[in-house]
Amino acid sequence: MSIRLLALIPVAAAISLALSAAVDAVALPLFLDTTGTILATTLAGPGVGIATGVVTSAVNTLRNPTFWPFVVVQIIVALYAWAAARAGLFRSFRTAVPAGLGLGVIASLTSTPISYLVFGCTTTGGIALTTALGKALGLPPLGACFFGSFLSDFGDKAVTFALVTSVLHALPRRTAARFPWALRAIGAA
Amino acid sequence: MWTAAVALLLTLTPGWRPGLVVFRTALLTAAPFWVFLRLLHDVPTTIAIGLRITTMVASFVWLAATLAPDRLVEATVARGWSVTAAYLFAATITAVPTLRDRARRIVEAQRCRGLSPRGSLGNRLRALRALALPLVLSALHDVDERALALETRGMVSGARRTPLAPPPDSAVERAARWALLAACVAALIWRFK
Repeated sequence: MSIRLLALIPVAAAISLALSAAVDAVALPLFLDTTGTILATTLAGPGVGIATGVVTSAVNTLRNPTFWPFVVVQIIVALYAWAAARAGLFRSFRTAVPAGLGLGVIASLTSTPISYLVFGCTTTGGIALTTALGKALGLPPLGACFFGSFLSDFGDKAVTFALVTSVLHALPRRTAARFPWALRAIGAA
Repeated sequence: MWTAAVALLLTLTPGWRPGLVVFRTALLTAAPFWVFLRLLHDVPTTIAIGLRITTMVASFVWLAATLAPDRLVEATVARGWSVTAAYLFAATITAVPTLRDRARRIVEAQRCRGLSPRGSLGNRLRALRALALPLVLSALHDVDERALALETRGMVSGARRTPLAPPPDSAVERAARWALLAACVAALIWRFK
């Protein structure tokens, strides 16, 4: 791994953890905690993306210990983002947003069993409340847990994909060309 | 219950006053989980999962309070582990507060320029883009500087490094580590027998 890609990993992981300040300012129910993983994957491929996801989870665990079991979700996000980058789905919002919605479904399917078995669906306040709403609607416990995860992940991943698309298109071509995957992800190579 | 109690007691080890702060942080972090568990489950399930989560929370809060990133890097280098892994962990921990400060400055600067982060969903999403994009782009511009700094310090994979001040590793600490590992294995065997 080149030194530039090694330097990218902590920066991308820190982006995921620092974006909460921007989310708080606009008061939207989003996490954006996979932004760095998706960005690192689209810039530098799946190895760097997976490393970013693992480092993000490890550092986030020191703030909130419930994050560590979800490291597998970060790995799946990186692999999905790699497939999306290979297909050039970051070339416009019209292709990126549906791809993000697809990731939302996959992420919630992956996170539901972990959330249900380890934490009883109480990983964050928002998910616990939407799970309670699912129970009130008559869903079985696992179904209510998926309902809660789905509501939080579905929009979050679509916004994350749209944001990464914005970043990739805003990067100067010379800067983008220094990363092996950036131009291919936006369909320019 | 005993593991949760031990984990909570460990939070008091940094000393009386700092220990109380860590203990309080662990309790305040674990408390919402108990509320949400009670909202979703019956009392026995709430207690079973709540104690498990409290153990995890107290352990990690204690770890975060007592672990100095630079000491971790020195220890991993001294043990001959990959310096890359230690760098990734320590560099991320130190980069997060810097980027959070930068994010706050961007939020204030954009507000001064008349950006309104309230209103319809579309408005808020446009405001989020105006806040997040400068943060991410400026962070990516840092990558080259960091790469140059790493190169000048001889950070190449596979290279053996000599720690400047390795943390002391006494015989008591080594024995304690082996005893804890044995206790974990025994607990797992007891749990699944």
